Amino acid sequence: MITHEALSALLGSDVHVQGNELRASVKKERFTALMTELVQAQGLSLSLVFGTDDRKSTKTFGVHAVLALPETHEWLTISAELPEADPRYESLTKTVMAAHWYERFMMDQFGIVAEGHPDNRRLVHHENVPEATFPLRKDFAWDTKMDHAEMPYPMHHVEGEGIYEIPVGPIHAGIIEPGHFRFNVAGERIITLEGKLFFTHKGVEKLLEDKTPEEALPLIERVSGDASASHALAYCQAVETLAEASIPERAQYLRALYTELERMTMHIHDLANMGGMGTGYTLLAAQGFRIKERLMRLSDRVLGNRFWRGGIVLGGIKKDLTEEQLNDVLKTAKEAYEEMTEIVEFALHSSGLRERLETTGVLTKDVAIAYGGLGLPARASGVDYDVRRDHPYAIYNELPLEIPLKRHGDVLSRFKMRIMELHVTMDLIKAIMKQIPSGSVHSHMKITDGSALGAVESWRGQILTYVAIENGKITRCFPRDPSFCNWALFGEIGPGNIVPDFPLCNKSLNLSYSGTDL
Amino acid sequence: MNSIIITIIQGLLVLGIAPFAMGLVRKFKALMQGRKGAYPTLPYFTYATMMKKEMVISKSTSWVFRVVPFVVLGTTVFLALVLPLVGMGGVLAPYADFIVVSAVLAIGAVFLVLGGLDSASAFGGMGSAREMTISSLVEPVMIVTLTAFALVAGTTNIDGMLGMHPVLTLSFLSLILVCLAENARYPVDNPATHLELTMVHEAMVLEYSGPYLAMLEYASALKLTVLSLLAANMLFPSMMLSTSVWVYQGMVVPTILLSGLIAVVMTVVKVVVMMFLLALLESSIAKMRFYRMQEYLSIAFFIALAGLVIVLINLV
Repeated sequence: MITHEALSALLGSDVHVQGNELRASVKKERFTALMTELVQAQGLSLSLVFGTDDRKSTKTFGVHAVLALPETHEWLTISAELPEADPRYESLTKTVMAAHWYERFMMDQFGIVAEGHPDNRRLVHHENVPEATFPLRKDFAWDTKMDHAEMPYPMHHVEGEGIYEIPVGPIHAGIIEPGHFRFNVAGERIITLEGKLFFTHKGVEKLLEDKTPEEALPLIERVSGDASASHALAYCQAVETLAEASIPERAQYLRALYTELERMTMHIHDLANMGGMGTGYTLLAAQGFRIKERLMRLSDRVLGNRFWRGGIVLGGIKKDLTEEQLNDVLKTAKEAYEEMTEIVEFALHSSGLRERLETTGVLTKDVAIAYGGLGLPARASGVDYDVRRDHPYAIYNELPLEIPLKRHGDVLSRFKMRIMELHVTMDLIKAIMKQIPSGSVHSHMKITDGSALGAVESWRGQILTYVAIENGKITRCFPRDPSFCNWALFGEIGPGNIVPDFPLCNKSLNLSYSGTDL
Repeated sequence: MNSIIITIIQGLLVLGIAPFAMGLVRKFKALMQGRKGAYPTLPYFTYATMMKKEMVISKSTSWVFRVVPFVVLGTTVFLALVLPLVGMGGVLAPYADFIVVSAVLAIGAVFLVLGGLDSASAFGGMGSAREMTISSLVEPVMIVTLTAFALVAGTTNIDGMLGMHPVLTLSFLSLILVCLAENARYPVDNPATHLELTMVHEAMVLEYSGPYLAMLEYASALKLTVLSLLAANMLFPSMMLSTSVWVYQGMVVPTILLSGLIAVVMTVVKVVVMMFLLALLESSIAKMRFYRMQEYLSIAFFIALAGLVIVLINLV
């Protein structure tokens, strides 16, 4: 644990406190060394790195790195300014692995160069994007028509006798999002595995600019359809932190309720999808999807759509739930939970199913930490971190929250982890129903300028949303989905497994393509 | 004359019922998983629709790709006509030597593999490699199993092998295991999967479309029907069509009509029962890991071998 005094000693006197966020600006020459010290020596984990275009005000580009301080429930943001003419700094990836995609992202989107990055290929841009296209710079119009280019995008390639390459996707046989995977295999054994994603680029970050926070919310909710409520909550919390708004208690309870229901829906989906579709144990798939459907219909009854969308708004909750609706929620959730636990317990007695899940796709703790792995997969590998406990929001510090943890990191661990989290979620929903006070669910708030972070533990992992507002309009917003950090884990999980087991590994992480590629 | 009629009836019935068998196993699986499922007659419409569709054939393919559906369907139709499925002693029955049958099965498999390779797509190659691994393990089991049956029956012709003998229990078990692998069913392959990376049989036919795909799908439905009827007949060879005549109160009665009717009904019953059992198996287990396949087939092989040893001991 690092104390404020120790931090002040490291950062000098210019630590600025805003709410639960500590901020410090350093010279760009010191940025990388300081971050390395904080991560390697002090053991802090890197949660977010993002760029900003501040050329209008200070003639600089900004690089900002956010570290989590779980003991004090705070965030630490270290920023550096890079001169407009030469936006370069020494790459952080060389010492802090978790920064690798963020830095490539900034090279593509801002033209901020991380010098000495071990993998300086493109990330977001594919072959067709011309050189020196930096969409998130302020002077790049959102409706720019780009020429068609033929830039190289080489993928890892292994040579040797009996080694061959399997390109998979971006169009798949099933109905899933587009993503290209390149396997280098010896027989069936995977030697290297690399993904080429970013086929779903929608320009969300660009579109969010110059919008009012209210206008931006519908876009944020649609970043990743399976985590609508969590994304909306993270964003709203950031804007509310800025406004120093006080959210009515009943709204806080309902916010926790919506995100927990979303968690329950998706955990049931994943259990069915991993155990059923991934292994061919069809009973689990058919029953699990049926039970998930009950929760989606519950969402339809409560919110008017099937994806837990539209409930959480700036200032609280859009529409209060009646006593009848709350009873419906509790009853449906309880039934779904009981049915699913029964079926999963039954399924786990199948030795054939367990055999498929055990020892498949092992994610070691070291790898999870090095890559900055988040959420459920990290906890299944022994990384004890959960935003609900470590940066409490909504009403979680008044709820009976237990964070389950597993060590082995294989697909079975992630499968069981979901079952354990399902138990916790059910307890939380029951507690919410018992404790929920009456009162208003919405408070009026005045949009305030500045920048802030909002964090939520979605079912998939930590969502961290950075919002900067100027004159009531958003100047920069980065809703970072946990998928962005977890995708690279496949490069470590895959090798050593056999090709037919990869779909199972994939389902056990269930990452969002759309949430990664804004 | 009667032997020609037997072959004609068998041919029409087996060729006609094959899509229904495929539809039936899907329907049973759906019911067992708590879904409603489609009508068992759906495959007829599916194949008819595919016959009408346009074919898209990759430019990188050669004539092999175009020959494959005909060879695969041809070998399967051969099996449907030759093996004792509806009736014994058909006009083509002399060709049902088990070595010939195994070889014909192998020809179908090899051409399917070539078709997978010919399109030069990654999945076709992957499916073909896996199919070859499985085939090379399946074939010895098939030969050893049928040898045991042949020794008991005293003939190498499958037409004369029907009927269970207690010493053949293990051989029958290995026959079932090998039929599952040969038909690309659980636990070896998942015929319903959409996960291209896990496919074996489906990966090889991934590049086919339209009429060719209809032919290949029909061939695999036919193969499933043929092999399950054969397995059923090994256990229950009674009430099949045969060239023998019934003698009733001193009169020789031409019973081909009556026994034909009984045989047809029995065949349908056998198909329904076998598809039910297959659906039960596929609904209650998970697919095996691909690397467990050699264990599964090694076990099948040793069961077959043990069966053969038991038979030999009994013969001595």
